[in-house]
Amino acid sequence: MNTTRTVAAGVTGLVAALAVSACSSSGAAVAGDSAGSASGKGQTLTIWEMNGDLTPATMKAINDQFEKKTGAKVDVQLQDWEGITTKLTTALASSNPPDVVDVGNTQVPSYAAQGGLMDLTDHKADLQQGRTWLDGLVQPATVDGQLYGVPSFAATRAVIYNKKMWAAAGITQAPSTYQELTADLDKVKAKYTASDFSAFYIPGKYWYDGLQWVWDAGGDIASPDGKNWKAAFASDKAQQGLNDFQSFQNTYSSTASRTLDTEKPDQDQIFADGKTSAVVGNAWEIGVIQKDNPKITNADLGTFAFPGKSGSAQPVLLAGSDWSVPVKSQHQDLALEWLKIAASPEVQDTYVFGKEGWIPNSNEGVKAAAGGKLTDIQKGYFTAAQHSKSTPAAANWSTIEGDNSLTEFFSSIASGTQTPETAAQSFDAHIDSVLNG
Amino acid sequence: MTRISSDARRKPAGALAVGPRRFGRPKPQRRTSIVAPVSLLTPALLVIVALIVVPILFLVLISFTDYGRRSLFTGTFHVVGLAQYAGVFADPDFWAALGRTVLFTAAMVGGSVVIGMGVAQLLSVLGPVLRYVVTVVLILAWAMPNVASSLVWNWLFQPGYGVANWLLTSTHLFGDMTNTNWGQDPVLAFVAIWMLVVWQAVPFIALTLYAAQTQVPVEYFEAARLDGAGEWLIYWRLTVHFLKPTLLLMAILSVIWDFNVFNQIWLVSQGGPNNATSTLGVWTYKTAFVGFHLGEGAAIAVVTTLLLLAMTAFYIRNLVRSGEEL
Amino acid sequence: MTLLTELTRAPSAVGRTEQAPSRRRRRRKGRRVANVVAVVFAVVWVFPVYWMLNTALKPRSEVMTTTPLFVPLHLTWSNFVSAVTQTNFLLDLRNSAIVVVGAMVASIVLGVFAAAALTRFRFRGRRAILVSILGVQMLPGTALLIPTFLVFNHLNLLGSYLGLILAYVAAVLPFSIWVMRGFFVSIPVEIEEAAMIDGASSWRILRSVLFPLVMPGVVSTSVFAFIAAWNDYLTAYTFMKDQTMYTLPVWLASFSTPQTGTDFGGQMAASVVFSLPVVVFFLLIQRKLVSGMSAGAVKG
Repeated sequence: MNTTRTVAAGVTGLVAALAVSACSSSGAAVAGDSAGSASGKGQTLTIWEMNGDLTPATMKAINDQFEKKTGAKVDVQLQDWEGITTKLTTALASSNPPDVVDVGNTQVPSYAAQGGLMDLTDHKADLQQGRTWLDGLVQPATVDGQLYGVPSFAATRAVIYNKKMWAAAGITQAPSTYQELTADLDKVKAKYTASDFSAFYIPGKYWYDGLQWVWDAGGDIASPDGKNWKAAFASDKAQQGLNDFQSFQNTYSSTASRTLDTEKPDQDQIFADGKTSAVVGNAWEIGVIQKDNPKITNADLGTFAFPGKSGSAQPVLLAGSDWSVPVKSQHQDLALEWLKIAASPEVQDTYVFGKEGWIPNSNEGVKAAAGGKLTDIQKGYFTAAQHSKSTPAAANWSTIEGDNSLTEFFSSIASGTQTPETAAQSFDAHIDSVLNG
Repeated sequence: MTRISSDARRKPAGALAVGPRRFGRPKPQRRTSIVAPVSLLTPALLVIVALIVVPILFLVLISFTDYGRRSLFTGTFHVVGLAQYAGVFADPDFWAALGRTVLFTAAMVGGSVVIGMGVAQLLSVLGPVLRYVVTVVLILAWAMPNVASSLVWNWLFQPGYGVANWLLTSTHLFGDMTNTNWGQDPVLAFVAIWMLVVWQAVPFIALTLYAAQTQVPVEYFEAARLDGAGEWLIYWRLTVHFLKPTLLLMAILSVIWDFNVFNQIWLVSQGGPNNATSTLGVWTYKTAFVGFHLGEGAAIAVVTTLLLLAMTAFYIRNLVRSGEEL
Repeated sequence: MTLLTELTRAPSAVGRTEQAPSRRRRRRKGRRVANVVAVVFAVVWVFPVYWMLNTALKPRSEVMTTTPLFVPLHLTWSNFVSAVTQTNFLLDLRNSAIVVVGAMVASIVLGVFAAAALTRFRFRGRRAILVSILGVQMLPGTALLIPTFLVFNHLNLLGSYLGLILAYVAAVLPFSIWVMRGFFVSIPVEIEEAAMIDGASSWRILRSVLFPLVMPGVVSTSVFAFIAAWNDYLTAYTFMKDQTMYTLPVWLASFSTPQTGTDFGGQMAASVVFSLPVVVFFLLIQRKLVSGMSAGAVKG
């Protein structure tokens, strides 16, 4: 019938158009001068920010500066973490993506390596504004030597401990060496003997913590091997770290915790209930603890960087965000202006650290902050930030984070269902196939 | 005129009417009345084509390529052809997922239908008050959006403070279950998911079966009872016999829905631990949205659909063959 | 043989009074057993809903207790209040309402039209189309997200209510056509012919004659469209770029982030609020829905 034929023709046409339009996008060439003030009158810069990152006050400060400089307006859209990889991927594929996106530092490679983000290498010097960015933030944002993200802020993990409980066990000072730590924990263990009490609560699936042990012993996740990656959990150093992790976890954390993660049950809830006296956590977890148990005040809490067996603090996985520009953005010049302001020493020192307490994006910023007045709670984090490492800057690293193989690797070691050796063999093979595949 | 009256005598009007093929060659005077409807149907056709046909074609197309993130950002991709499908079939994870899906589906459909039958029978012997109570309870379970019910389930089975763990520990039959993390044990995760799906699936089956049961003429039951038949016999030989077509439909619908169940599994266990609860649907999602191997994900989706079609082919063939309005 | 002879007798002749007293006693005992089973069943089946409400009405301190509290000691509405006022609830509710109503209306209209075409008009490939409609329903739910995204991107439908509505319509339409077809098929052509002879136009026939007769199918479709649009997270989150256009599932997801901690009271309150419209809707149309599905079932 005629209708069938017309329909068939229409369908083929649409599919063909789809394929062509997908091909027709090319990285918009940004030949524009690096930071010459672009005039943006009448234009709007769209920014996607992750819920929980910079506060509206800081964003406003940046936006006000930007609007004064360029005359363009800013529209900030808050995004939730659930489903963000899908949302960001599809946004980068659409024809009018946002102009600046807030990407978790470990996620930048997966977008950058596939051609979704604008190459910022030519503007690096201009954007750095004389400072040296933190390794943990800039390393993942650099793929094949090209820069794809501008560090926004950092966060680390440190030990959060209940000063009150420790004082009751006779400990008045935070430990600074591994031996002191274990001695202190033994005292706590002797004092609080409830069957479900953990002197130091580390859920077996807490890979962020597990990695710290591997790094402290000198091992690593994977190292570049030419164009490929070679996973290294089976190396002697990594094995030593894994063994240390297992024995510490088994000694000081409850048996039930060996197969659990940090959220089910929530480790902050466990801390708030007094079922543990110490956890490894981010700074925002302090707020959660206090919400869970309003009787715990700032005076009751303290932090310190986890002292490693190596003699210095355990290297921590630097968490944080980078600002990137989608390659298909239609306001790339304006975006660069905005990035410059967001990464500027002034914003970093006054707002990112000063008002919000995040770790600023540069070594200089961290030193300045650490040299100034830090509260008891902030101290641990800033010490920890000075030894930081990051995950491999590989395009497919996010798959490893997303498919739960990391958490199961560590929990199988903690629970003893696998020896560090056997676990490492299969996990290394998995990492190799994913990162290089 | 005559045709109408004779047909009316032959067939009872109403819902149970089943007519023979009546569409003969359209008479000449009908042609004019067809034109208008066809033009009314074009919008529906357009929407269907644009929103359903085109994406499906696209899905099938990319199942032969290595479409991924790079393709989304830059439009480049390489045709891999049937090697993609060969890769899927050669992947032991695929077969594991398939086996799991078949087992899960059988367990969920079996559970829902059996419990549904029991509840339908229960409804039919209850007095009006209790019947209303049970119906309301069923509707509450049925109506809750599965995004919300999955949250409730996570809370019920929360290690440490979940009430399900506490209840089980109190029975002293399973030891101390207080800290059991259901989502992290392969068997328990499946049990929790099974309970969630069945909890929300039984109402529809039970209510539909009950409605069908009420259509069975009372005389049959009374006659059978007079003949001395026990209640069990009555149920199996009489009730079930009448319910057969409805049962079959419920079973087929359940198979189709449960085969592809996703939200509940993802929100409770994310397909873990170690893929123990990764059915084909979850596997497709992980491939396409965690690894962003969209081409491979598309191939798995196509294979899943064809498999399901094959499994329900028997019912579809009946549908087509029943000489009916197709 | 005996059954048949019974059937030829008038129904009134087969009365209860002819049953032996022992049988009556057995029936009454059976009824008591059934009542007990019903009560046990109802308690078990309603437990999750009860626990959800119970938790939602508790203050935070009573939610995480080692021994669960089966009744709140200090009943509080604060979880509900904060869930509804301290978030974008009203905004997202408005968005969900728009999208849901749009999806329902569009699916019904398009479903009726398409089903009418399939059943009333002869054209080649009708059988194949019906089989493929069934096949489309068998696709894994998330499989079409990216392809549909690309289509919508091309048609500039992203970030608009229309786009999201159409996405849900696309998801519901195959099922809707299939169900409506079952009802169309049972309507004798004679009704249409009679109306046509009376001079009604096809459009009039469709609207006044056919549409009322397929009402159960319309109800089924509206239910599934409601659920699909109300419950979906990923499509809404991916297709809507502007946070002022998010729907309720996104709102619900915001209650279970690591930063919110273990606020199960808040989560449960949000779940109650989220489920309420759907439950009310179901309670209202439940009878029609079930009768519709069962009638459609027998015809197959």
